[in-house]
Amino acid sequence: MKARLVELSTLYFLSVMVALVLSAILVEATGGDWWPVVDALLEGSFFGAGRWGQTLGAAAPMLLVALGTIISGRAGLVNIGQEGQLLIGVAFAVYFGFRIGGPGPINVVVLLIFGAIGGAVWAGVAGVLRFRRGVPEVLSTLLLVTVATQVVAYGLKNQWLLLAPEANRGNRNQVSEQLATDNRLPRLHIFGNEIPLGVFIAVGAAVLLGFALSRTIWGFRLRMLGRNPRAAQRAGVSQSGFGLGAMLLSGAFAGLAGAVMLAGGGFQFGNYRLVPGFSASIGWTGLLVALVAREKPAAAIVVALIFGGLRTGSGFVSSTGVEARITDVIQGLLVLALLVPPAVMFVRDRRRARAATMART
Amino acid sequence: MIPTLPDETGTGADVAPVPAVELRGITKNFGAVTACDRVDLRLHRGRIHGILGENGAGKSTLMKILIGLVLPDDGTIHIDGELRHINDPITAAKLGVGMVHQHFSLVDALTVWENVALGDVGQLDHGAVRERIGEIGEHFGLVIDPEARVGELTAGLRQRVEIIKCLRRDPSIVIFDEPTSVLTPEESSQLFASLRDVVAVEDRAVVLVSHKLDEVLSATDEITIMRQGSVVDFRPTAEADAPTLAHSMVGRDVALRSERAAFGMIVEDQDGSAPAPAPIERAASPTLRIRNASASGSGGARLLDGLSLDVCPGEIVGLAGVEGNGQRVLGDLLSSLVQLSAGEVEVAGRVIATQRPGAMARAGIGVIPEDRHDSGVVLDMSVAENLVLVDPKGVARRGVIDSARLDALACDLIEQFDIQCEGPDAPLWSLSGGNQQRVVLARELWRHPKVLVAAQPTRGLDVGAIEYMTERLRAAAADDVAVLLISSELEEIMDLADRIAVIYRGRIVGEMTRAEADLHKISLLMGGAAA
Repeated sequence: MKARLVELSTLYFLSVMVALVLSAILVEATGGDWWPVVDALLEGSFFGAGRWGQTLGAAAPMLLVALGTIISGRAGLVNIGQEGQLLIGVAFAVYFGFRIGGPGPINVVVLLIFGAIGGAVWAGVAGVLRFRRGVPEVLSTLLLVTVATQVVAYGLKNQWLLLAPEANRGNRNQVSEQLATDNRLPRLHIFGNEIPLGVFIAVGAAVLLGFALSRTIWGFRLRMLGRNPRAAQRAGVSQSGFGLGAMLLSGAFAGLAGAVMLAGGGFQFGNYRLVPGFSASIGWTGLLVALVAREKPAAAIVVALIFGGLRTGSGFVSSTGVEARITDVIQGLLVLALLVPPAVMFVRDRRRARAATMART
Repeated sequence: MIPTLPDETGTGADVAPVPAVELRGITKNFGAVTACDRVDLRLHRGRIHGILGENGAGKSTLMKILIGLVLPDDGTIHIDGELRHINDPITAAKLGVGMVHQHFSLVDALTVWENVALGDVGQLDHGAVRERIGEIGEHFGLVIDPEARVGELTAGLRQRVEIIKCLRRDPSIVIFDEPTSVLTPEESSQLFASLRDVVAVEDRAVVLVSHKLDEVLSATDEITIMRQGSVVDFRPTAEADAPTLAHSMVGRDVALRSERAAFGMIVEDQDGSAPAPAPIERAASPTLRIRNASASGSGGARLLDGLSLDVCPGEIVGLAGVEGNGQRVLGDLLSSLVQLSAGEVEVAGRVIATQRPGAMARAGIGVIPEDRHDSGVVLDMSVAENLVLVDPKGVARRGVIDSARLDALACDLIEQFDIQCEGPDAPLWSLSGGNQQRVVLARELWRHPKVLVAAQPTRGLDVGAIEYMTERLRAAAADDVAVLLISSELEEIMDLADRIAVIYRGRIVGEMTRAEADLHKISLLMGGAAA
């Protein structure tokens, strides 16, 4: 077991090094300097004044999305439509949040709840298609992202849906109303950093989910369903019931992430308003976080932090004169680097297991 | 250990000066396991060479090396005296080595001639292929209609197609890997008759790989016995008898009825030393009652066709039949995996909804499935978790699994059922097949089922494990569990069952007590002859 851990960390180290070297070559080749870029990345993500808070704020919704992905993944479902579920979640939060009203703190909770419901509804569409009609969820969740983008764009053009009354639009034509100050998630001020409350919600959820997956009967059955649906069916785990539940919950997390982005401010998510491009690819990044963390909630916390750092740091990179999109490429390389070691270990384990069984037959 | 050649052979054919195939020092390791350890083997033309060994003895690996599916770590292959490197099956085919595999590789939706032509390149010559099928059929007594759809053929006829596929390329060395596992006894003897022709007519070398003593004794000219990857014995069949062979195979004397059954020896009770189980008094009401069960597959094929079967407490009912006649569907039905279109399943007088998740398990039906990887275990979960797969609530409080209790239970069962593993947390895939099977057995018995369904429970196990499994099934019946033994090994059923039912095309075509059971009658029923 220990040898395995050493092996895995060596692999991680090597592949990250390879990714960094490749990134350095890339930056130099496109006419930039490598060290200033690294410097800007670290400055923008962790070392600059107040940047910690920004990074945590960006990481929190990524983590929430990743947790949802982990739930569906454990049940053997490939939900890749978090981006759309997140958008519909925000749309629900905006629509109901502004209509229900109520005292500030309660309305924040209402916002979050409706965000989760919105995400669940959108994932539920794919879930019902999957379990009633056998439509592969990989396709339906992905395609529903496009639909969600269009639905939200439509909502932002119609005042009876999401569009703010003319007086509150502030020179923009597709924008929702801004959340009132007392309808926002509070922030904690620590050492000159503003840390959004969403961070604590996300980490709390990760801890809870980690416990639920490994220790409860619910998690046990979910894993059983994901790894061997026929054994699960015999043991009393209904594929359609449990699977649909996992799908709904998965979407709910994405929707919750959207609501947290809206109410928490965090990084720069539309400044408490729903605007076109609000999701800022957090749904996709969260999906990557879950992938890199290999469906482990604890690992997802760390990975989300790294990805959050890349996100906030990349804003500073453009100041070095390097094309900002280079950081997207660097991010891609890093994702690959983080995905390779577990894949190598997996293939090797399987090969050993197969060799062992082959020898026996 | 180079086997000495016999001076004379049973066939009276000339002894070829150069062996058709000579394997020297073949060694193959899979990780830490040695599948073949410096194996020497000589095959001669005009002889049928039996390779006998338990599951895991290395027979299949050796044959896979000979046809290029597995590359040896060490050793050489000489064909007709020349050193050859067989790196893939195509090379093997060019050198005239062909194999009839244990599991059929046929396409059901295609016709016989299409299947035979499968794998050819260029334009298909329908007429030529048909003609060749006719020739082979006449030559070896393997007559078949080239236009028949393979999906509609019986297992015996399908195997005939496999053999024709192999013989069409006119191989001079033919390997048969466990050819009788899907055949009725009648079909088996037909097969051996044509095998004899294959050898006699054209001076081919034939290898018969088997774990059944009786068939090796009756069909071969010489026998090589393998144990744990090594050749432990070689002798002409004329000088061999069952007890000596069994001894070499296992490495110790074989005495028990169940052990003998494991070698494919029908246990007859003429010596009176092991009396047939006394006919048990049938309890008033059967624990498991299946009435008129019908189910259809996705393509509309009838999988179960009005099947009715009762199993009483304390009784072992053996369900005999050629594989593919609905046994698997029956197992799935009792695992809540199949929906009935008509009929019902009752446990202890209560009708159980079919295909409702967990309903059969909750009603008290324990299942050792035919393919444990399909619905019996979750390979990626731990041994402990697999032991409570069906009923995790027993080790949980308010929905939270108590890991201390889970571990305690798992350790207890691991000891009680002698499961060889690194501990309760070892992933199930790290266990050997026999130990995985014990995990399934432990889980199903631990819950004190009312009914125990054991589908092909000893397949792929070695003799020790088979004996253990049989004892457990007997013990379960002694505990008043209603045991349904589904097996395509007639020997196993004759050894264990109190009552025997025969399944054919999804229905029960005959039922008899063990005392009334008559091999001939059963094999006719298995082949579909009306009762």
